[in-house]
Parts: sequence; C-alpha cells; structure tokens
Amino acid sequence: MRNLISSKENTWCIGCGNFGIFAAVRKCIKTLHEEGTPLADIVMTSGIGCHGKIFDYLDISGIYGLHGRALATAQGVKLANPNLNVITFGGDGDSLGEGLEHTLFAAKRNMDITLILHNNGNYGLTTGQASPLSDFGYKGLSTPFGNVEKPFNAISLLLEAGASFVARGYSAKIDHLAGILHQAIRHKGFSFVEVLQPCVSYNNTYQLYNEHTAFLDALPSDIEHARALAKDHEKQYLGIFHNEARAVYHELIAPAIPAMDVSARKQYLTEYQ
Amino acid sequence: MAQKIFTVLVGGKAGEGIKKAAQVIAHLAIIHNNHVFQTDDYQSLIKGGHNFSVVSMSPSRMYNTYKQANLVISFDSRSVDEHKGDLLEGGLHFCDEADVRDDTMIPLPLAKLVKTHYPEAGNMSLASIAIFCAVMGISEEFLKDTIAREFKRNQAENTSFALAVYQLVNQLDLQKVYELKQEQSVASKFYTGNQLLALGAWAAGLDCYFSYPMTPASSILHYLALKRDQLGIKTVHAESELAAANMALGACFAGKRAAVGSSGGGFALMQEAFSMAGMVEAPLLCFLSSRPGPATGVSTYTAQEDLFFALNQGHGEFPRIVASPDSFERAFTLAIELMNLAWESQSPAILLTEKHLSESATNLRLDISKVDEYQLAQPDSVNYQRYQFTQSGISPLKFPGSDSATDDDVIKWNTNEHLESGFRTDKATNIKLMKEKRQRKSAAIDSLSRKYRRVEVYGKGSTKVFAYGSTALELREAQKYIDFELVVPVYLEPFPHDELAAYRGKEVIVVEHSLNPNFARFLKEKLEINVKANILRYDGRHFDAGELVNAIREAIDA
Repeated sequence: MRNLISSKENTWCIGCGNFGIFAAVRKCIKTLHEEGTPLADIVMTSGIGCHGKIFDYLDISGIYGLHGRALATAQGVKLANPNLNVITFGGDGDSLGEGLEHTLFAAKRNMDITLILHNNGNYGLTTGQASPLSDFGYKGLSTPFGNVEKPFNAISLLLEAGASFVARGYSAKIDHLAGILHQAIRHKGFSFVEVLQPCVSYNNTYQLYNEHTAFLDALPSDIEHARALAKDHEKQYLGIFHNEARAVYHELIAPAIPAMDVSARKQYLTEYQ
Repeated sequence: MAQKIFTVLVGGKAGEGIKKAAQVIAHLAIIHNNHVFQTDDYQSLIKGGHNFSVVSMSPSRMYNTYKQANLVISFDSRSVDEHKGDLLEGGLHFCDEADVRDDTMIPLPLAKLVKTHYPEAGNMSLASIAIFCAVMGISEEFLKDTIAREFKRNQAENTSFALAVYQLVNQLDLQKVYELKQEQSVASKFYTGNQLLALGAWAAGLDCYFSYPMTPASSILHYLALKRDQLGIKTVHAESELAAANMALGACFAGKRAAVGSSGGGFALMQEAFSMAGMVEAPLLCFLSSRPGPATGVSTYTAQEDLFFALNQGHGEFPRIVASPDSFERAFTLAIELMNLAWESQSPAILLTEKHLSESATNLRLDISKVDEYQLAQPDSVNYQRYQFTQSGISPLKFPGSDSATDDDVIKWNTNEHLESGFRTDKATNIKLMKEKRQRKSAAIDSLSRKYRRVEVYGKGSTKVFAYGSTALELREAQKYIDFELVVPVYLEPFPHDELAAYRGKEVIVVEHSLNPNFARFLKEKLEINVKANILRYDGRHFDAGELVNAIREAIDA
C-alpha cells in the first residue's frame, strides 16, 4: 500500500492530540486496505478548524468542506455512490456548533457514514474560544469572564439523536482508537466516534485524561446504561457505548429501478408523452 | 383583433378542491383540442381564506390566463364579491342561491344539493365541472366518466350530485358562446413549470435532488419524490437549505448530477454553499423560483425581485451561470442546457424563474431532441490533479470510486484556496494563478453557451419591449392585441452581447415584476439602452394581457 502521509508541511502544534488521531486513522485505513477495501473507495470530508488540516496531511480523496457542513457534504457523497466508505472529520465547534443540525440528522437518518469528532474542548485554530464542549467557566478570548453555558455531552446527545454506533477514544491511546475506528467504519449505519484530544496551546487536558479515563469492560446493557456511563462524573469512559443494526438511509430511499442513461431517459420521455 | 378565447374562473375556500376542479376543466378543454393555460391564486393557509383558479382556453396557443372570465363559478359569498367585477359582458356567474347579490348571478341550490346527495361532507367543487360541461354542451355520459376517472372516493354520491347540477344548468337553456370542440389537434400532456424543470434536469441525467420545501419551488421536490420508481431518482428533504446545498456538492464530487431548488429565502441560506461550488468547481444546478420579498414576504405569489441576487449569488469572485426560461417549453430545455453547461464548465448555474411559471400549467409537447449527451473534460495524465491548469480553465474530472479511479489517485476538492493538486495554499503566487484559472472559465462558459438560443425575439413592430422570465409569456399574450417586438434575453450571465448588439443604444420599454426597475438598470449597464418607460408590477399578481396592452399604448403615446 502506498504512503498515506502527504508531502504537505504539518503545522499542528508539537504535542497536539491530532497527531494521535492521524496515526490511528492511518492504522485503521491500512487494516481496511489489508482486508480488501481499495483506497479508491475510501473518501473523507472535513470541516474547518485544526481538525480539518488532516485533509492536507492524509493522502486520500475527499472534500475540504465548509465550516460545519462537512457531514452534510459527506451525506451527499454517500447517497450518490453508496459503495464509498465515507469518513467525516469534525471539530467540536464544527460538528456540534455551526453544523449541529447535520450531526443530529445524519444520526437520525442512520446515514452509513463515520463521524470522527476531534474534541479538544475549544476553538483551537481561531485562538482558543469556548466551544459547545467547553466546560462551564472556561476562559477564552470570547469568554474572558468564563463560559456561562453548560457543555453538551456528545455521547449522550448522539445516543438520543439515533446514532447506531457510538464510541469514545483518546488520542493518546492510538491502538485502542484505531480499533474503534475500524469497527466504526465497518459498521453499517451512522457511526459516531468522539475522540478526546488535548489542545496543548489552549486546553491542555493530558493530565486530566491520563488520570480520569478508563476503558469500558463491555458493551453497556442498554441505552440507559450507556447514557449513564457517558455522563459519569468520575471517569471518561473509552470504548463502544452503543452498537445496533438498523436499516440505513440510502437503502431505504433507493428507487426500485437503477439510474437510466441518457438514451433510456429520452426513450422514457418519448413514451411518456 | 378579436380572439377566440374562453376563460373559466372557479373561486372558493382553500381545501375545497378548487384547483383540482380547474385541472379537470383544463383536461376537458385539452381533450377537445384546446390550448389551455391555468393559473392558481392561493394563500399560505390550508383551510378557509379565498382561493381561485383560472383556466383560459383557445384554438390557438395560450400564454397566460385572463382576469376577465366568460364563466365564473363561486362557491362562497366571498368569491361572489371578489369576482363579480371579473365577469365579461355576456358572461355567466354561477353561485349558491344564498350568495346572490344581483341579477348578474345565476343561483343554484348548491349547498342543498350537497346535503341531499352526500350523507357526510360532500365535494361541492365538482359542481364547477358539471356547470362547465352543461355550458359547453358536453354530454351527461362524458361528465359521468370524467368524474369517475378523476375522483376515486364517494363515486356514487359524486355522480348523482354532479348530474343534478348538470341537469339544472341544462334546463336554463343558455346560449352557447364558445365552441369547445376544435379541429386542430393539440399536445395532450398538461405540465406545470416546475414539472418541466424537474423533467428537464432529469433528462440531462439528474440523479439526486436535494431540497428543503419552500414555495414556489417545493413542487419540484414533490414531483420527483413521487416519481422515484419511474425515473430512478433519489430525493432528499434535507434538514435545511444549507444541508441540501452541501449534500448536492457532495453528490457532484461523487460524479452524480445533482440539483437544489428553493425561493429567495432558501437561497439566502445557500449563499455559502454556492460560493463553495465556485471554489471547488462543482457543477451545481440550482432552481430559484421567486416570490415577493424581502424575508418571508408573500409566499404564494409571483415576483422578479431576485435578479441581482441571482447574478451575485455567493460571496467571492468566480464564474456563475444565470438564465431564465421565457416559456414552458424553455423550462424543460433550459434545465437540460444549464445542467450540461454546469458540468461542461464545472461551475454553478442558476435557473431563475418565478411563481408564475413554476406553478402555472399549460399543455405542450416536450422537445426531446434537446436531450443530448456531451463530453466532460477527461483526465489524460497518470498523476491526476483536480485543479490542473488548462487554457480554458476547465480541469479534467475524475470521480472517487469510479472505474477510472485507482488507488493511486488522490482527488481533492478544497474550499480553501488550493494548488493544482487540491491541497491548500496561502502562497501569493499560487493564489493569483488559481484565481486566474477559475476566471478563465468565464470565456469558456460564454463560448459553450453559444450553441444554445440565448436570446429570443417574438413578434415585430417599431416598439421594442424587453422582458425576461415568465413576464415574456404575459407579453406574448398581449401581442395578440398589439404589435411590438419582444426581446427576451434567456441567458443573463453570460450576457449575450453579440445577439443583442442590434439593440445597443435603442429606445425600449422594459416590463418586469419588481418595485425598482432592476432589469432595466441591468440592460442599461450592459447595452446602454434608452428606457422610454418602465412597466412594473410588484403586488405579487401576474400581468393581464389587457393591462399590458394599455400600459404599452400609454408608453408609446407618452
């Protein structure tokens, strides 16, 4: 398999959690390729923010989309060509702020796409403003006296929206994350993977995560259990919270006949009138 | 010149089946070889209010309906009051006996008959079909068959009610003013403008249609959604216009023809995605059907306020294509042309239209000869580069997951300024080169669009009248009474300078549906025309032929 790292200069901060995500994604794609998935059938979309730079570093096809809209774009890709494996990279500001509607609706539809949420708890690229996942009291340029909004709980939110595969990884646990990503992409349906990602410049959470993360022993018994674990105050659990088989959108809306070529369309219209 | 035209107006409350009844009347006229035009005047509500539908028919082509009707059928007192002034001399105005105001109305015991013939709620609108049949001398049998074919529920009750009305009208022994049966056969299919836009885009390969409902564009979505299994098409009612437009861009990336549709408000939301189409060079086809604004405006009426909005859609500098169909035939062919142009030039295209075309209907034959395949820019090199520099500015296309794509191909579409490879760049020289590459496509688009009819001229006369979009239809109906040369730029961007060179500096009248003479301003800038008069209508209603004839005469005499 060819190299997945492009020749573009990497401009993430030294120690950025994005490096771990990048490594896990490459490892996962390598596995997919070894299992027989052509690289030509894997495409990515990304939003705008530090996470989005992965578009320039990961050498696979895709769209560097608009801020917040990468998941909408990804859904169009999947509907147009359901054979493609579509992976969307989103930031917490991107996927849960500007583009929250698309995240919830992709889950609601059970679109067969994987959303990897780079949760660094702030807007890194635009110098550390509060994000939808920033803690209450978080101080940034836009909240100099402290964030007065409570953060979303991403896992619980996506469980409620209807994501059929919900998991959490940590950018410093690359092998574990690669394994989760592999299952997420292989899962038929909407897969949501929250990745805890320290931002060394504005929200350095390495120590917090190293001390307060734990692996789930097993798949939670039901959604309620999953939600309770996602909201645990002591621990940030890593692993798969939910995994269900459910009909996917592109199959539910598929026409009874295949797409026609132009001459068949002409013929149809001639007979129609 | 006297015209052989017959107009029927059916009025009543929303939810009473007015529009459907008018459609059946239109079909009856078509079966008897009439050219037909139907308009529906309705409000943004489900029950109550006042709706009316108008059907004008003639042995010759119809381009609009008439405000003044030969036959008015009112189902409530509000309709009687609204339309008593719309009756032509010698015309007939039928209404319920309780709503009669004066001797210009013919009372029928409609409410009583509904009660007698239906055990529960009845369908009073069928009376309009029965009245039309009686007035036109259509047989009882034909009426019965029509009602049975068109209305599937309560068939026995429908038939007995319709026949009762029919017989009452027959007893009046009315003098026939219009011979319904015509010699020359006509096109039998009846289409709304939106159906033609949908079919045109589909004929040109439309695979996925993404939309969020907004009148008057919604029925494109409804029509395609319903035809899923006949046409093999995918439709998505997205969570918002932003979602719809971004999804459509994703579909283009995957190599499938996609389109979006909305009205002005929805396009305001799609601005950023439209700009993205310019940047990533996506062939995005957009249907923009206008209604009076600003903001929510008037949902169910017509306007041409969005001309400059369409021409300047999306922020930033990039080539755009904007064209507006001046007829129902062109709605079909222009949708094909714009889909093809969008793909040939990898640029976003807007088909700008109005409620008046979107939701009105006429009978016609589709010009299927316009459905043509065309060549896309093909990649020839091993090292594929999405934004490869070319003389025309048009780069070869390759799609992920397609037969021609291999594991070594990296196809990068990028909303950031980018290199030929599709990777992001901030470098000054690269920014300049890529901007110039995109700009070169303007000339390519102009040249590609020349194979189409970019300007249409109707009629002759020393007076020159300019219009675009469905305003041209209104003017063509007026041309039945007054001579003038009607000049219609179908393409607005690229502007057809060459075809219009003969009009440069000329004195003209400009007709449009907006408060400000936007189209006249546009023409002045492009052609330095001398505007003798602006004829403007901005109350959401379409122009009536008579009104235009008077306004043009006034302008000539001024």
